[in-house]
Amino acid sequence: MQIWSWHGFFTYLGSPYIFRGALITVYMTAVSMVMGFLLGLLIAVMKRSQRRLLSWPARFYVWFFRGTPLLVQLVVIYTGLPKLDIRLSVLACSIIGLTLNEAAYLAEIIRAGLNAVPTGQIAAARALGLSERQIAWRIAFPQAFRLIIPPLGNSVNGLLKTTSVTSVISMEELMQRSQILVQDQFMVLELFSVAALYYLLMTTAWDFLQRRIEHYAERPYRRQQKTAAVEAIEFPATTQDAR
Amino acid sequence: MITLDTVTKSYGAFQVLKGCSAEIGRGEVVVVCGPSGSGKSTLIKCINALETFESGQIYVDGMAVRSANTDHSALRAKAGMVFQSFELFSHLSILDNIMLAPRLVQKRGKEELREHAETLLRRVGLEQHADKYPIALSGGQQQRAAIARALAMKPDVMLFDEPTSALDPEMVQEVLQVMMELAREGMTMMCVTHEMGFARQVATRILFVDAGEIVDDCPAADFFAGRCSARAQAFLRFEEAHPS
Ligand SMILES: Nc1ncnc2c1ncn2[C@@H]1O[C@H](COP(=O)(O)OP(=O)(O)O)[C@@H](O)[C@H]1O
Ligand SMILES: [Mg+2]
Repeated sequence: MQIWSWHGFFTYLGSPYIFRGALITVYMTAVSMVMGFLLGLLIAVMKRSQRRLLSWPARFYVWFFRGTPLLVQLVVIYTGLPKLDIRLSVLACSIIGLTLNEAAYLAEIIRAGLNAVPTGQIAAARALGLSERQIAWRIAFPQAFRLIIPPLGNSVNGLLKTTSVTSVISMEELMQRSQILVQDQFMVLELFSVAALYYLLMTTAWDFLQRRIEHYAERPYRRQQKTAAVEAIEFPATTQDAR
Repeated sequence: MITLDTVTKSYGAFQVLKGCSAEIGRGEVVVVCGPSGSGKSTLIKCINALETFESGQIYVDGMAVRSANTDHSALRAKAGMVFQSFELFSHLSILDNIMLAPRLVQKRGKEELREHAETLLRRVGLEQHADKYPIALSGGQQQRAAIARALAMKPDVMLFDEPTSALDPEMVQEVLQVMMELAREGMTMMCVTHEMGFARQVATRILFVDAGEIVDDCPAADFFAGRCSARAQAFLRFEEAHPS
């Protein structure tokens, strides 16, 4: 058996089977992130509530889902739901598990963002007659969101790789498919290198996307609100390089 | 326009307001002054229910503030408020800052609202800055925008809490100009400020607050002619000797 087969590496790199596995990984990440964010927002708002009837269940949720391994949560969902006569696909179980788990972490990130919204602006909104709901949607959430883009980006990056845990319930995502092919010709190194390359590609694409989102969200906070042309005159490339 | 009837408020064991009473008529410009920590901000925030109070009552245009069925939105639409540190919404342009509340709270139409907002911006001299975000404006400009934002709700009375205290000296006048113009147009105003020059020019009455009590409530002319309490006179002498 040779040490490294370039032929094997490129075969797997071009394999539609692996490629589709990567697409499934992206799909699970996107869906779990969006749903986890919405659930996390709800939990964050509940946890901040003065009413214990709301804050305590939220605290319990975060405590529970951050306190147990995702692997265990997935297995419990996958084997437990059928016993309650709820039959879901492996994909559905995986997404539910990832969403529930991610929501607990996102709730804490969102809570930090909401805590950082200037209280004076909240008071000003109140003084203008906005309802608490309007204040939440129009003032607090947009400002909090801008503040938490970097940690949210971290979460997306982490989740892209954490999805591989779903292979434990035989979810055929990128990692599981790589492992299946290993059984075939035992080219472990080649296959895992291909998988690593795919993960790098996905996280790099996300980095790029995150930077765009950040750039957009920072627009109101840039002191220089001038046209690009004026900026180029005032800050020639040389001074920018010097910084 | 505003009636304060023995308003009492405590933070725990500390009594901030010890039964404040006063009457502010339509078109009056009342300047509230007094030492720091005496309860001026608390008092003014009770009027639009940003602060709660335990006993007594406040009426704004006949509307009771401390009541289980007070419509806070309606109350706050009557009383515009300007804060020491502007508190413009940092994620919205100046124009959107001005139009947000009238649109959401008063459900006013876009066309009329935009016209009104532009009129207000011209009035405070910011028509060039409508599309900028707050961070791109100087403190004085931000405060003028905040005044325009409050005026957009067409309030019956304007409450100011030290509107120039956070400003660099060279920007104080531009904000006071806007406020004086507002006063001359007949707006009912209640203004916490250390700007005695402003008080001399437009105030109809002075409320002197000390340690949670309105210790003096007298016509501005009397106040500046030295016909008020000794404590108020001492305070006035101090303020005029140390212009902020
Ligand atoms: N949230 C609060 N909790 C406890 N004490 C407060 C609070 N807000 C204000 N105080 C106290 O109430 C007093 C009056 O405050 P304030 O109305 O801001 O005074 P002023 O505006 O005249 O300077 C001060 O002694 C202040 O320390
Ligand atoms: Mg104050």
